Amino acid sequence: MLRVTKLVAVAAAATFALAACGGGSSDGSSDAGDTGSAKSDVKVGLAYDVGGRGDQSFNDSAGVGLDKAKSEFGIDVKELEASANETDSAREERLRLLAQGGYNPVIAVGFAYATSLGKVAKEFPDVQFGIIDDSSLEKVSNVTSLVFAEEQGSFLVGAIAAEASKSGNVGFVGGVNTPLIQKFEAGFKQGAESVNKDIKVQVKYLTQPPDFAGFNAPDKGETTAQGMIDAGADVIYAAAGGSGSGVFKAIAAAGKGNWAIGVDSDQYLTADSAVKDYILTSMLKRVDTSVYDFIKSAVDGKVLTGKQEFDLSDEGIAYSTSNDAVKDYEAKADELKKQIISGDIKVSATP
Amino acid sequence: MNADTVRRVGLSLAAPALAIILSLAITSAVLAAAGNDPFDTFKQMIEYAKEPRTTAMIINGSVTYYFAALAVAFGFRMNLFNIGVDGQYRLAAMLAAAVGGAVSLPPILHVGLILLVAVLVGGLWAAVAGLLKVYRGVSEVISTIMLNSITTALIAFLLTTDKLAVQAEGSNNIGTKPIPASGQVPGIGLVPDSPLKVYGLIVLAVIVGFLYWFVIEHSRFGFDLRAAGRNEEAAVASGVNVKRMILISMAVSGGIAGLVGMPQLLGSSYTYSLDFPAGIGFTGIAIALLGRNTALGVAIGALLFGFLDNSSQILDLEGVPKEIVMITQGVIVLSVVIAYELVRRYRIVAQQREVGRRLSEPPAPAAGNDKTPQGAQA
Amino acid sequence: MPESEGAAQSETGAAATVPAVELSGITKRFPGVVANHDVNLRVRPGTVHAVVGENGAGKSTLMKTLYGMHKPDEGTITLNGEQVVLHSPADAIARGVGMVHQHFMLADNLTVLENVVLGAEPRRWGGFGLNRAAARTKIREIGKQYGLEVDPDEMVERLGVGDRQRVEIIKVLYRGARILVLDEPTAVLVPQEVDALFEALAVLKGQGLSIIFISHKLDEVRSVADDITVMRRGTTVATADPKTVSSRELAELMVGSELPSPQTSDSTVTDRPVLELSGINLIDGARHLLRDVTLTIHAGEVLGLAGVEGNGQAELVESIMGMRSVDSGTIKLTGDDITSWSTRRRREAGCGYIPEDRHRHGLILDAPLWENRILGHQSRKPNVRGPLVDRAGARTDTERIVREYDVRTPSIDVLANSLSGGNQQKLIVGREMSGNPKLLIAAHPTRGVDIGAQTAIWDLLRTARAEGLAVLLISADLDELIGLSDSLTVILRGELVAEVDPSTVTPEQLGSAMTGAGEAA
Repeated sequence: MLRVTKLVAVAAAATFALAACGGGSSDGSSDAGDTGSAKSDVKVGLAYDVGGRGDQSFNDSAGVGLDKAKSEFGIDVKELEASANETDSAREERLRLLAQGGYNPVIAVGFAYATSLGKVAKEFPDVQFGIIDDSSLEKVSNVTSLVFAEEQGSFLVGAIAAEASKSGNVGFVGGVNTPLIQKFEAGFKQGAESVNKDIKVQVKYLTQPPDFAGFNAPDKGETTAQGMIDAGADVIYAAAGGSGSGVFKAIAAAGKGNWAIGVDSDQYLTADSAVKDYILTSMLKRVDTSVYDFIKSAVDGKVLTGKQEFDLSDEGIAYSTSNDAVKDYEAKADELKKQIISGDIKVSATP
Repeated sequence: MNADTVRRVGLSLAAPALAIILSLAITSAVLAAAGNDPFDTFKQMIEYAKEPRTTAMIINGSVTYYFAALAVAFGFRMNLFNIGVDGQYRLAAMLAAAVGGAVSLPPILHVGLILLVAVLVGGLWAAVAGLLKVYRGVSEVISTIMLNSITTALIAFLLTTDKLAVQAEGSNNIGTKPIPASGQVPGIGLVPDSPLKVYGLIVLAVIVGFLYWFVIEHSRFGFDLRAAGRNEEAAVASGVNVKRMILISMAVSGGIAGLVGMPQLLGSSYTYSLDFPAGIGFTGIAIALLGRNTALGVAIGALLFGFLDNSSQILDLEGVPKEIVMITQGVIVLSVVIAYELVRRYRIVAQQREVGRRLSEPPAPAAGNDKTPQGAQA
Repeated sequence: MPESEGAAQSETGAAATVPAVELSGITKRFPGVVANHDVNLRVRPGTVHAVVGENGAGKSTLMKTLYGMHKPDEGTITLNGEQVVLHSPADAIARGVGMVHQHFMLADNLTVLENVVLGAEPRRWGGFGLNRAAARTKIREIGKQYGLEVDPDEMVERLGVGDRQRVEIIKVLYRGARILVLDEPTAVLVPQEVDALFEALAVLKGQGLSIIFISHKLDEVRSVADDITVMRRGTTVATADPKTVSSRELAELMVGSELPSPQTSDSTVTDRPVLELSGINLIDGARHLLRDVTLTIHAGEVLGLAGVEGNGQAELVESIMGMRSVDSGTIKLTGDDITSWSTRRRREAGCGYIPEDRHRHGLILDAPLWENRILGHQSRKPNVRGPLVDRAGARTDTERIVREYDVRTPSIDVLANSLSGGNQQKLIVGREMSGNPKLLIAAHPTRGVDIGAQTAIWDLLRTARAEGLAVLLISADLDELIGLSDSLTVILRGELVAEVDPSTVTPEQLGSAMTGAGEAA
């Protein structure tokens, strides 16, 4: 009997592990040509990173850009989701399926596609590919690299954080400790220190790769933020995707005078009403804009190529001002923004 | 005897067949409930799997799974639950990749060195759990799960640009220094017309599978291992040094686990980067259960999982949620465990009855008192 | 010898009354063992009926049959004149049979009341609420009626052993039991608690309840019981009247005294020592499991080790086999100091071992016979060749064992658990005799096997001894010990306390020596 119980337990654990890898449901695949008013015969394929639609982070943001392009140009789109723990060959196959299916351009969301895209791009020289957050393929003619200067925007919100902090102690919560998120950290730190040389910046990452759960673990975000608040922080920057909601909750619980800073999209507009007033600003990384621009260029017949860098100068990177509370700090932030654009301030991308 | 053999084989096939039929039925029900035609869906998967490239992908996926499942199965054979295959192969792959990228050697030696490092790292890492069990009585289930977490932290610590990692220009990914051509294992054009080659290390998988079978079934060591797995106390009484066996089996299990990442590393990615596949160890548990811990059964299980994983890619394109295969896989594993246990019990009861029947046929029945009365039997 | 079915006694008082319980011809087989064989038991209403017998005599199996935990293969159960078939304990309870287990089955973190009603809760609010008031009243009533008073709202974890037992009895009465089965109820009690229990039993009896009292403490049985039934080797062998029977006579009935002692005349003992233990100490924490054990067994000698179970026999065997390492002392096998050798090396040097519990220590139940034949010999011919298992060799030799040792099996490919206990044991004996052992440790070699196999195993031991084997025999069956041994040593609390001459000692004297009671009986 015991033997059975033990076996079933292990089997259950194994099944659970499998299920846990399942990720979100992929209901994102849109039916072909449902808008009816097809003005363009461009077919766009988009391959998401793990998490897919509904990750409240950059996959969603890419989806927003795609939706906008779809409704504006009436194009045919196909979205495919990734599975957790898949190999390069699986990613490769996904891109290949899209390219084979006549989708052009094909957009790969996330740097994890770089290796596989390198191979598939060679197989389909007539298809234009876009990849977000990677520029290692910028020399491949049919790959468009859509990259962002996250450190610049983070610099600005770092400066705002330092201005808003009364305790001289601010926090950075990163989702997963990868070089990409380290860019956010680097910018934030430099920005904060540009305002207050003695400021204390607490840095915590929720998980380490290959555990990418840190982008979707509000509970971890909350306890981590709580720890920072207990250690004296009164402004916390959440560069942690879906985990940010936990950070907001911790800040709201700490009460007036404490501020959270959002990331990627304007989270003041999307967050829960209970916490939104505590979101001073958000560092905007307009993945949606980049996807939209890229598709638009293809629809217009003048497809973007090479490395497309989005930064403060073209509003691909920005900070949000929808919360009135940020007004007090805007002057300073805009001043810094000008200096970054002009090159007077150089923001390093590594911490 | 012949009829017996047929019966025995029939019974051993009954369980997996039952399980697969059950899971297909449940999957079909789920598909139908979601408004998809189950037969059409399966047909699409099979059609897609028949394409040469997909076939090659399925085989490649299975090779990786095979190592993971064998590693788990080796432990299972002696009642050790090595849940830590996942951590063992990740650490092994990372360190082996780092070593492979750092040295330059003649081709065969280079590959040999990388494999050796992987096996040693996997084995030693698993041996930690073995030591804890032998000397401190810590359940290997607990310790290997914890070692998995420690592995993650250790890799995060080591895989940074100031230690073992390099970052390519313009990439947000970091990984170990790529292994030069001398350390790469070329693919084999096993599937005709497929532009994708099958991992060269499939040869190693076959060799390891054969060794697994041979050692377990035909060696003294294998006998001791199985004895300890089926009745530890009897094994002790028979002279098996169970503590030593635990250490060795954990280390061997970990050593096999060390190979899990090798086909991918030496045949495809040549570097251990942030997106190196994780979680294969857990799939290995499921496949080991499915394959009844035998070399052949596990191979079939690995192919089945490889098929489900890879052929599901087509489903997304056709508007069917590909998570459906997760359901299939989960249900297969659960039903396999249950089906095996049912068949096992049925078998014991049936055999006891059979033995009783046969013994009672020619001579007088059971009581067995036909031996001449001895001594002063009152 | 009072072997006669003391029938006259039980007839006298109960000629007119219908027995509360009547079991007749009960036989229960388990795969491998016949646990009960033609058991007959008759309990008069309003009496305490004791069932006595040694460990393993089949008392518990019988009571489980009566309580519906399994169905007998043969025989009938009659309750108050009505023949019944009990499918489950619930059935038994419904028919007024209640069981108080030796190990209490109470939830510590619940109150007395909750424990009592567990599974038989009085409902209210349409079946969803627990009617505590009703339960409390009923428990108080039972307490008053039978003199079993316990506070219903006390937590069980705060109760002493005696009170807990009282709760168990109340639990059974609460369900309306009129026939109570008490399985070794005094084993866990101190003398005062025993007295209180006996008073309660007297009250219950006075109220017309029938009590089946299982025990092997003969003095207690004589003081509390109205009738006594004796069981031995799975069957009922006699009934006795507690007023006239002596403990000595009961003991004789329990252990039996009709068994053979044929070989004492033709001693084969030589002067070549095979096993020499000197000053063996084994300490576990504060407990001295073995204290200064010194003994020698010569070639051709069977040394019997007598003792109540749990006095260090198992530890001694495990020390000799190398499964435990001793804290001090030396073990020599034919002159070689093997104290630090591994189990395997000792086996290779000629130590055979018939373990006490063959299922746990002797066999792999779900492996075929030929694989079981390799067990314990996996480093020796004909089972292995170099580092590999020699299947053909092992199979051939298994066929030989099956033939020579009369193992009843259709083939050597069946799993060990398909064989009966006796045949399993014969396989083990055959295996351990292979490879020319110098020493054989036989722990309870005939426990749980049928008479035929028992006789065969005895013969095998005698033959081996005549061929010069040294045997350490451990058994709870005193006749077996006396009958087979050339010399007998008594172990008590890990110490060898006495040596007795098997040619003159009686089972009763040996029994007294085993309990350290000297001359008391």
